[in-house]
Formats: sequence, structure tokens, C-alpha cells
Amino acid sequence: MAAVDDRLEKYAELTIRVGANVEDGQTVFINSSVEHAPLARALTRAAYAAGAKYVDVLYRDQHVRKAMIELGPDEALTYTPDWLKTRMELLPKATIWTTGDPEPELLADLDGERVGRAQMKALSEIARQQMIDRSVNWSGVAYPNEGWAQQVFGEPDVERLWDAVAFCTRLDEPDPIAAWREHMARLEGRAQRLTELRFDALHYRGPGTDFTVGLNPNARWMSALFRRADGREYVPNMPTEEIFTTPDCRRAEGTITSSLPLALHGDIVEDMTLTVKDGKIVDVQAKRGAEVVRGQLESDERAAYFGELALVDGTSRVGQTGITFFDTLYDENATCHIAYGFGIPEVFEDGDGGEGMNMSTVHTDFMVGRPELEIDGLTKDGEAVPILRNETWQLPED
Amino acid sequence: MAAAGGLSRVDRYAELAVRVGANVQPGQLVDVIARVEHADVARAVVREAYKAGARFVDIYYSDQHIRRALIEGASDEMLSWTPPWLLERAVEVGEERAAVVALTGDAEPNLLADLPGERVGKARMLELAEENNRQINEQLNNWTVIGVPNAGWAEQMFGEPDLDRLWGLVEYAVRLDEDDPVAAWREHVARIGKRARLLNELQIDEIHFSGPGTDLRVGLLPQSRWQGCESHTSEGIPYVANMPTEEVFTTPDLRRAEGHVRSTRPLSLYGRVVRGLEVTFAGGRITDVRADEGAEVIQAQLATDERAAHLGEIALVDGTSRIGQTGLTFFETLFDENATCHVAYGGAYAEAVEGGLIEGVNDSNVHTDFMVGGPEVDVDAVTRDGRVVPLLRNDEWLLGD
Repeated sequence: MAAVDDRLEKYAELTIRVGANVEDGQTVFINSSVEHAPLARALTRAAYAAGAKYVDVLYRDQHVRKAMIELGPDEALTYTPDWLKTRMELLPKATIWTTGDPEPELLADLDGERVGRAQMKALSEIARQQMIDRSVNWSGVAYPNEGWAQQVFGEPDVERLWDAVAFCTRLDEPDPIAAWREHMARLEGRAQRLTELRFDALHYRGPGTDFTVGLNPNARWMSALFRRADGREYVPNMPTEEIFTTPDCRRAEGTITSSLPLALHGDIVEDMTLTVKDGKIVDVQAKRGAEVVRGQLESDERAAYFGELALVDGTSRVGQTGITFFDTLYDENATCHIAYGFGIPEVFEDGDGGEGMNMSTVHTDFMVGRPELEIDGLTKDGEAVPILRNETWQLPED
Repeated sequence: MAAAGGLSRVDRYAELAVRVGANVQPGQLVDVIARVEHADVARAVVREAYKAGARFVDIYYSDQHIRRALIEGASDEMLSWTPPWLLERAVEVGEERAAVVALTGDAEPNLLADLPGERVGKARMLELAEENNRQINEQLNNWTVIGVPNAGWAEQMFGEPDLDRLWGLVEYAVRLDEDDPVAAWREHVARIGKRARLLNELQIDEIHFSGPGTDLRVGLLPQSRWQGCESHTSEGIPYVANMPTEEVFTTPDLRRAEGHVRSTRPLSLYGRVVRGLEVTFAGGRITDVRADEGAEVIQAQLATDERAAHLGEIALVDGTSRIGQTGLTFFETLFDENATCHVAYGGAYAEAVEGGLIEGVNDSNVHTDFMVGGPEVDVDAVTRDGRVVPLLRNDEWLLGD
């Protein structure tokens, strides 16, 4: 047990120092599932050790949400207590949220439409504004637990899941903090080169997929080495293996098919195919869970437009595990993905993407990468430049 | 774990807390306050609250490990800070006249034992306590507190984590072992209510506790009113604020307490256990505190505000108490205070005074009950016309049940 605890403390320290990069004297918010309490506690200790002024832990509970969706009146579904808004609005702050669903199918038997509607939109609005303002250093990390392990391996082998998590977050390195520095430098190099190529669009080709999506001329490709408006660096996702940009939300055509199951609102969406016209998702088909996606796409006017394109190749540690984690934080780093919903303001020089950047209260990543998927960059004059073939990066690297 | 009616014991317990305890009304906002270790029961309470017609259930989980990290890692001035959003939450609970279900039951009673007692005592959200206090006195909310069995609590009681045994005891204490717990509660509330009525008719001026290490006289106000198990909001919603409850209680005159008292049970306070507590009073005020263990937690608490060291409650419990009958110390005030007579220093319940927060009624941000009763402790009432009326001898209630 001592070894596990030691690992947990190191994991928390890495999250606080490299992930959120907590500042001396900062107020730190931890948003955790009740089932993740051991991690929330370790994060709290690490945050005080890093000089936090105050650490506020908010535990959420999916069972409480389930009770509301199942038994509560309609008005409860979208109700947001004022105190949660006040908490969310406080600045300056660092925020850490945890993932690793202890009961991934908990909401599966509920009415998908009600599940999709049960969102505190006012909180998403505040979070989105803070992203645009780049006012918060934040990070997300996963907590290995039995329910999650059961879903991943078919048995509650938490130790095996911990090993995978430690590998993906480079906790297995003698100096994880140095390993992260090196890793982020490599991803930054890749992003810079792709930005310099100034493609007009990307073309995705593969099983169930023939999809062209426009890029914004004023948008960069980025790694997840983020900077607050005042320049303080942080890494919002641990692990991270992607480089990404915000596409032109007005230009997308064709069909795109997901390559991995997507955990969404307590349900699993499998084999999803989206049909896209004039930038908008006009049809959702899936072997399972299409209702939840449709419900989410109706959240607001711009939910059905695209907000993110991300590229990941076979060197990804997450991909190398060969594991489907059923957790976006991990799976989106295994392979290429796309998100519908709001765009990422950081990719624009002044944080303002203009009309090309999608604004919405939702943001859902789904995986599209697989060995058969080919991605080309299209230049203004129509030339196709290979970027990914058979999960191998085609552009030169340093 | 299916029991009578096909409901699990957790669900039956939650139902009792929601229907009889807080008495949740259709359309009410419901506030649930729990620790992370109480998630099972908290979830059941949320379900039952929605079934009772709650318009929204807002749950807040606290965690003693986070508190420990605060005590170890934060600066002095942050220890008693109330985050504004938590104050806002409490204010909303008052303004909306929400129903409140609070869960207790310490999962790690010794978690803070190795920390400096003075910092442990200071680590309380003061503004929040003040707001909660105000709401209780204005009788805004229908609320209840229940205890949630857990392994750590069982370990402290039995020396082993016998969770099943603790569940059995809790079910007995809150009358869940009855075929019809709701009817059993109705009967119980009536019986204790009658005691309160008879005590009020006596026109008591002073209560006298005497026994080994104890000779304490506590004065009452002419406006002091004895209360049984049932309370009412200012809008008239009945509720049972504690489950279990076995006491009749009233608010004393904060200026009149003389003598000394020896606590008859260990006291669990902010994650510490206080044993062998002896308290001396003069002119209504605590002038000396001694204990075999944990005295500094009490001293830090008494220093919280000016009035913390005056009494805010006296409560009488006899040997018919189901908690007393178990013969066990629960290390949990909610239970132990119902085993036997107790007094509390700190804020008073305005509900137990005609006219509310009048002169002589204590107003403080702390309220700590400690147990002073037992078979060896006699309790007498001295009436305003000077008669001495025995109330308790050898744990037996003498005033016409």
C-alpha cells in the first residue's frame, strides 16, 4: 500500500507543479467525483505545499445527478444554484478537475433526452469566458478506480490501470518533471511546423469517412502547453499527445465516422457517423447512444458546428498502450480526434477567432484516428500534402 | 439487503429522515450536507427528497482530510475563513426556506488527533456558523440531523469495524426496527412532548445537578420554555431536528450558572476526543476547564467569541432512552447527548424561549453539548415559589409520564 500512496502523492505533485502550475498565494479549486476523494486529498496537500493560499474542493456525485434526472421535476434539470456561479467566477485561481468514471453506465438506462438536457449551462458560460480571457491556469487528471478498470479491462484490476496511467503521464520516468519538459518541447516543434505550412483545409479519408474541413488563416496549431494571458505556462491535460487547432466553423463537408467508443453523459456512444453540410452536423447515426449526441447538439444554436481538430500519431504513449480507456482525457490522446462545440481561443493570436471560431456551451471530442485513416493538408491552390499515413507522421521533425 | 417493504435499510432510513425528520414539503429546495464517506445514505436522501416533491436537491460534501490539509498547510488567518460562495449558499438556504438534511458520523475520529489542538479549534468557518445560527434562531428551515454508520465509527465504538452491529444499533435508536417507524415516532414525540408540558407547568427557576464531581445550579429565565422532540418553523412546518432524540431541553439564563460539573461520557469534538472533562462555572461563565485529554480543543473553542463560555442549553434524558439502554458510548454527540442529561455552552435555541433572543439568552457561534447525567447524578427542579421537585433519580423520570 505504501508504494501506491507514494505514487499518488507524486502524481498529485506533478499535476500541481506541471499541470496547473499552481502559483504561490493562489486559491486552488479542485472539482472531483466523490469516488476520487483520495486524489482530491493528495492534490490538496500538494497545492498547499506549492504555496496555495486556500484549497476549495467541490465533490460532485453522479448518483445525485441520476436521482435528479430520474425523479426531479423538469425545472431541476437546468437549475444552477447561484453559489456555484459565484464559486466559478472567482479570480484569480487555479482549477483542477478529475476524470475516471467509477460507474460509466450509471445513466445508460435513463431517458437520453433528459440526460442531455441536465446541464448547468450558466457554469459552462463562465468557464468558456475564462478560457477566452485565458485567466485561469487549470488541468485535468484521471483517478484510477475499480469501476473504470472494470470497464477498461473487464475486471476491476486497478493496479493494471494505475500502471497504464503512470506510463501515459510519464510517472514511470526517474524525473517526471524533466520528462514532461522534453515531451512538450517536441510537440511544440510539430505544431510550429504545421502552422508555418498554412494549409487551407484538411482532408480525412478512411472507413466511413470522407471529410473536408476548412482551417482559419489566423489560427495556429498548438500543443497543450498553454499560457495564461499574463504568460504563466500550464498543461491543461495530463496526459497530452496532441497538436490541435480551431477549424473554420463555416467550412466542413462530408461524412466522418468515429473509431473508438465515446463516453458521454453516463452513456457510451459507439460507431457514430456524422453527416456534415455547410459546417453543420445534419445527421447523427450510431450503433448505440445516438440520442445522447442528438440531445447535446440541441443544447444551443452552435453546438452542431466544429470547434477542434487534433492530430496524434503512433508515438503517443496512450496509443502505445493499445488500451481503450473510455475516457476522453486519455482516448483523445491515443489518436486523431475532432470536437463539435466551442472552439479553442488560445489558437488565435489575440484570443479572438472572429466568425471562424465556433461559440457554444458544449465541447465534445470524438476519436476518428485509426491505421486506415489518411490525412492530407490541402494548400490554397488545391495541392494535397500527406500529414498522416498508417499512424505515422509524414512531415519532417527536428 | 432487502428489508420490509422491499426497501433497503439505507432507503428506509433516508425515507424516515426526509418524511419525519426534515418533513420535506412539495416544491421545496432541499439542502443535503454530508461527508464523502456518507455517499450511500446521502444519495438515498436525495432520491427520497425528490420523491417527496423537492424542486431541487443541492448537496454539499465535506471532507475531514481536506480540513486536515488546511490546518497543516494554510496560514493562520485562512483557518476560520468562510469562502463567500459557501456563505451565499447558506444565505440562499435561508431565503428559500429550504429543507435541510445534515449527515454526521465521523469516519476517522482520530484523524486530527496529532495536530495542534489550538489550530484544530480555530479551523471553523466562522461567518458560516454565524449564518447557520441566525437561521436556526429565526426558525427559517425545517431540518434534521441523522448519523450515518460507517466502518471508522464502528471501529471507534467496538474496537473493530463491525458495521452491521452499528447499523443494528442505529436502527434501534431511530426506531427503524419498528413495523411502522412513522407511527412509532408519532407516539414517541407525544410522550416527550408531555414531559415538556409538565415541566413548563412547574414554573422552574433553577435546575440542580448533583453527583460525583458535580454540583451545578443553572438558572432559567421566566421565559424559558421546555421543548420536546418536535420543532416548528416560523411558518408552522413541524420537523424533528435530531434523529434520534430523547431529550426535553430548554434555554437557561446565561448569567446564572454556579458550581462545577464532571462530564460522564467522552466527547467527540472536531475530530478530537475529549475525556475526563471537568468544568467550573461562576456568574454564568466557565472559569476553568480541565480534562484528561483534549482540554485545549475546548479552550480554543471557548475563545471563539465573548459568549462561547456561557451556557446555551440544558437537556434532560432518563433511562428509557433507547440510546442510554444500549449502554454504549457512540462518540457522536447526536447519539450520546440522547443517552443522558447534558448541557451545552455556546449559542441557545431561541425556539426554547418565549420572545426569542431576549436578554439572558446566549448568542454565540459555538454550541457544544457535553454529557453530565447518569444513574449517580440527581436532577432537581427548584420552582419559582421555592419548592424542590425531584426530576431524576437513578436515571428514572419522576414527573408523571
